[in-house]
Amino acid sequence: MTAKEPVLELRRITKSYPGVVALDGVDFTVYENEIVGLVGENGAGKSTLMKILIGLIRPDEGSYTLRRKLVALRDPASATRLGVGMVFQDGSLVPNLSIMENLFLCHELSFRKFGFLSKRAMQEAAYSILALVKVETDLDTPIADTTPEVRQMVEIARLLWLARLYNQRNPILILDEPTTVLTENERQTLFSILSEIKSQASIVLISHRLQEIVENSDRIVILKDGKNVTELEADRASIPDVEQMMVGRRFAADRYHEDEQVEPGDKTVLRVQNLSKRGVFEPIDFSVRRGEIVSLVGLVGSGKEAVCRCITGLEKPDSGSIALGGKKLAWGSPSETVRSGIGHIPIDRRSEGLALGMTVAENVNLLVLDRFKVAGLISPSREKRNAMHWIEECRIKSPSSWTMCANLSGGNQQKTVIAKWLSSQIEFLVLDHPTRGVDVGARDEIYRLIRKLTHDGIAMIIMCDTLEEDIGLCSRMLIMKDGRLVREISCPRFKKPSPSEIIGSIV
Amino acid sequence: MVEVKRDGPAKTKETTTVRRKRAGIPAIYFAVTLLLVLVFLFTMGNRNFLSAYNLNTIASYTAILLVVGLGQMNPILIGGIDLSVGGLMSFISVVFVVSLKTIGIWAFPLCIVVALMAGFINGNILTRIKIPSFIATLGTGGILTSLALIVSPLPVDAPPSTYALLEVVNGTLLGLPNLLLLTLAVFALFYVILRFTTVGRNIYYVGSNIRMSWMSGIDIVRTRNFAFVLSGLGAAIAAIMQSCSQYGGDPALGKVYILQSIAAVVVGGTALTGGTGGAINTVVGALILGVMENGMNVVGVDAYFQQSILGLVIIISVALTFDRSKTATIK
Amino acid sequence: MPNNVTSTSPARASGWLSISVAKGQQWLRRSGIGGQLFSLVIVMGIFAIGTKGKYLSWPNLQVILSLTAIPAIIAIGLHQVVVLGGIDLSVEGIVALCVVFVGFLAHNKFNSNDVGLWIVPITAGIGGLAGVINGLLNTKLKIPSFISTLGMSWVLWGLAVFVSKGQTTPLLDNPLSGFVNGYVLGIPDLALVAIVLFMAIQLIQDRTRFGRYLYAIGGDEVLASQAGVKVDRTKIIVFGIAGVFYGLSALFLAVRLDSAQAITGNNLLFPAVTAVAVGGVALTGGIGGAKNAALGALVITALNEGLILLNVNPYAQEAVNGVVLVTAVALTIDRKKLGFIK
Repeated sequence: MTAKEPVLELRRITKSYPGVVALDGVDFTVYENEIVGLVGENGAGKSTLMKILIGLIRPDEGSYTLRRKLVALRDPASATRLGVGMVFQDGSLVPNLSIMENLFLCHELSFRKFGFLSKRAMQEAAYSILALVKVETDLDTPIADTTPEVRQMVEIARLLWLARLYNQRNPILILDEPTTVLTENERQTLFSILSEIKSQASIVLISHRLQEIVENSDRIVILKDGKNVTELEADRASIPDVEQMMVGRRFAADRYHEDEQVEPGDKTVLRVQNLSKRGVFEPIDFSVRRGEIVSLVGLVGSGKEAVCRCITGLEKPDSGSIALGGKKLAWGSPSETVRSGIGHIPIDRRSEGLALGMTVAENVNLLVLDRFKVAGLISPSREKRNAMHWIEECRIKSPSSWTMCANLSGGNQQKTVIAKWLSSQIEFLVLDHPTRGVDVGARDEIYRLIRKLTHDGIAMIIMCDTLEEDIGLCSRMLIMKDGRLVREISCPRFKKPSPSEIIGSIV
Repeated sequence: MVEVKRDGPAKTKETTTVRRKRAGIPAIYFAVTLLLVLVFLFTMGNRNFLSAYNLNTIASYTAILLVVGLGQMNPILIGGIDLSVGGLMSFISVVFVVSLKTIGIWAFPLCIVVALMAGFINGNILTRIKIPSFIATLGTGGILTSLALIVSPLPVDAPPSTYALLEVVNGTLLGLPNLLLLTLAVFALFYVILRFTTVGRNIYYVGSNIRMSWMSGIDIVRTRNFAFVLSGLGAAIAAIMQSCSQYGGDPALGKVYILQSIAAVVVGGTALTGGTGGAINTVVGALILGVMENGMNVVGVDAYFQQSILGLVIIISVALTFDRSKTATIK
Repeated sequence: MPNNVTSTSPARASGWLSISVAKGQQWLRRSGIGGQLFSLVIVMGIFAIGTKGKYLSWPNLQVILSLTAIPAIIAIGLHQVVVLGGIDLSVEGIVALCVVFVGFLAHNKFNSNDVGLWIVPITAGIGGLAGVINGLLNTKLKIPSFISTLGMSWVLWGLAVFVSKGQTTPLLDNPLSGFVNGYVLGIPDLALVAIVLFMAIQLIQDRTRFGRYLYAIGGDEVLASQAGVKVDRTKIIVFGIAGVFYGLSALFLAVRLDSAQAITGNNLLFPAVTAVAVGGVALTGGIGGAKNAALGALVITALNEGLILLNVNPYAQEAVNGVVLVTAVALTIDRKKLGFIK
């Protein structure tokens, strides 16, 4: 086999953020005419690495060599000019512009005739590029009216065309979870097109679906905790091996205060029956008891987020019921669910969890203002007392109760969100990635808080950033895949399963 | 559907630190400083500025502006705006005088109720039909202006027989002019609502982060409707006060107040983005405007040029108080 | 989901008619003026019946065309700001300022200035400059357009009245007088100007890079910026063009009235915004073009003309316009884009 030319080489790449090292001395190579699969858990460093690849962020250390030349990218536009581009999960096409307009956006100069854009020239060029990716939709269709598959293909086509425009041999296309939004048929089409494109480009494939990676890549690179684990030829890889390497065998027990894990009480707090939402998840049943932490685990597209949204009243399911303490809940109304006693720690505390422009006290007291009323009016002293109590309880580090939330650190902001719900005496709490973007110290305190909640009998559903965190915190794990509940695993204290045992059911 | 929202293209800046508000100096200190500076400047320009007579003039002018400003403050606090206050004031002004003749003292409650309804409709166009408040109120304002002109195309005088009723505003109580007392009462009402009631506090939550408020179970429909009802209340009371002082109604009364009510609110430090500011800010803002208007007259600035300056002041205040971290793009 | 088969196969000689009809329909569907044309027909039909045909008489149609011209020009200027996703409320202020300048520089009763035909580029320039300032306030100072243009309107209006001392300046022997008041083949000259301007802007929107950038920004400003669109520059140009159009309207208005006063510009904003909304330009941005703005102006003028002919209370007219505005916005706004509406 001829030794392939490396087109792109990243060496010893390191990138840190306050409190967390995202990448630690990572090496990454892309050869000519190949498909490289990049795998790793959430937080393994994949997205950081890719952002560095396309020039969105700069590494703290390390070298970036493209076609034998060292480069330092200033922005994604420079990456594009060098033939490196990425197709993001959400897509970056402007929705109201047509396929053709999006294809050539900002690079229409080559089609100018007498000062005006020649539609015919653009159409001819568009046809030839789109033929490569087998898109036959009418060129004037607004992107908003096209299917996700077509949109992806158009983005791939654009990258290829831009590479051609800038005379870059062997462009590198990075595809971030391309198959999440595709049907089975469309996935096969995608991969057949990719293997054709391989002859003139290289593709980096990021996906959680190990099956796809193993079947369609030439080479697989595995990252974990910001470091290289290994890389292997795809035809020599087996899915279980890859899984093992992704999640590792070690498991830090004391990190999650496992000794404080509580045995669930007998009383059922939340009962979900026959809950379903067409196209998102199929009928699902489960219940959660007092003091129990149930972890909901699954890939993007498994439906777990939608299940939680139905529980918190943000979305209406198509069938089934949710009962809290025996009483059935109404649909699609957060005020109903909140009133009944269900709390929600949202994934994005800044946009969904707090009023950043208001004080800690105001945020903490949001749900319980009625409690401070004297003769119908809110008493400021009572308010302050309540706020101070919870600031202490949750160990929120804030100069005062009237500090603006915007001035707190991420961890303390998160604790404020938790305090808000605690203050209102909920029975059930949904935690959506509670430690995301939180530094190590605050993380520990949040775990402590969560344990304390279980002691008070509060039942919880939790979705964590890493499998390890899920296993560590929960007493029971529900695994969802492609919209169905596929497995239920018990995670009792001191007898926790290891991530590698579970990963197989998830991917 | 997808787990992470805008993981890719949107975050071009790695900002893990939070954007801090300007040097921790709340807008109110800015506003008060501005007020004091203005008073100082005008006094330098003309010693009579601080005379009792002049201060009285300022007070009368500011009172009405403050009342309508306190109303306008509420839609602005929730992040919207009420451009119909002008039309509403005009409408109430003529309806008030006309109904004084027929139903006497019942004209007062009638006008209040009508204004509350108008505010309620404004609110619902926003909350139920989902039309942005600045367009909705632009439309309703136009309609109300028309209605005012239909009721009375020309200014209408209050007949002397009703003068006794007008004493509610024009008279004095314990030596203090009713106008001032009423203004104080309105201020107290709005202050208490915003500071000490749940629905008032909810106005802040909704203005600060509407999505979070919704997710936390706050009734955002009711809260926003209420904000517009309060705006209608402010406009109505101001219109009644003005009509009483002028002994007549005027279908063109409200036109200037659209700009001025917004100015009073914004210049006092309440951000257009909502969620910050309040009644005291509006008081300072109204005073600044009153002082400016009076001061410019006393010093001899042309009346129309004053409008330009007002526009400039608004632009600058907004530039300083607008919370840019709230929107990814400025439209 | 199956891919659609493209319908742009080469035209065969015998099928050119059917193909152009199909293309015309596609154009209508895509551009969304079908609804407006339809309502125009309905509106005119109702008035025709109500006035027993008088509405459709040639002189009346000429009046409609004549009255539509200036609101149309303003709407064409304004709508591009709306396509960007903003709004331009500075119409009245810019017009006031430009009118006052016309009164000062053109041959008039109060001074000896007479710049003749130079008044056209001068007025356009002043309007354009004011527009550029709007753009700068929006892009560099990051002030939302609705406040910055509202504030500018007040600033400029006050300035205009101040500079002109509130006086009305009669214009003398204006070279444009014949043009502004004249007709070509029965069609008012100003209407032709509006048509030419609309075609020019429509051409720019369809066939230049600038047009692409305009819609990209309106569609998704963040993504457009990432794709390389120079957002700030485009925005400033758009505001500038709007200002130029307002300036030209100011000139035409003053000449038509043979006098210049600051309040000439009053009551121009509301009909223009209504025209833009009714024409189908969505407030959320990214949708609608010059044809929408022009057509919307026509519909509004036709509507108001009819109300006048039917002797409807003039004050009620504003109410009707208010209802129409709110309804048009309600129908065209893209709620998905706005999330929580304020």
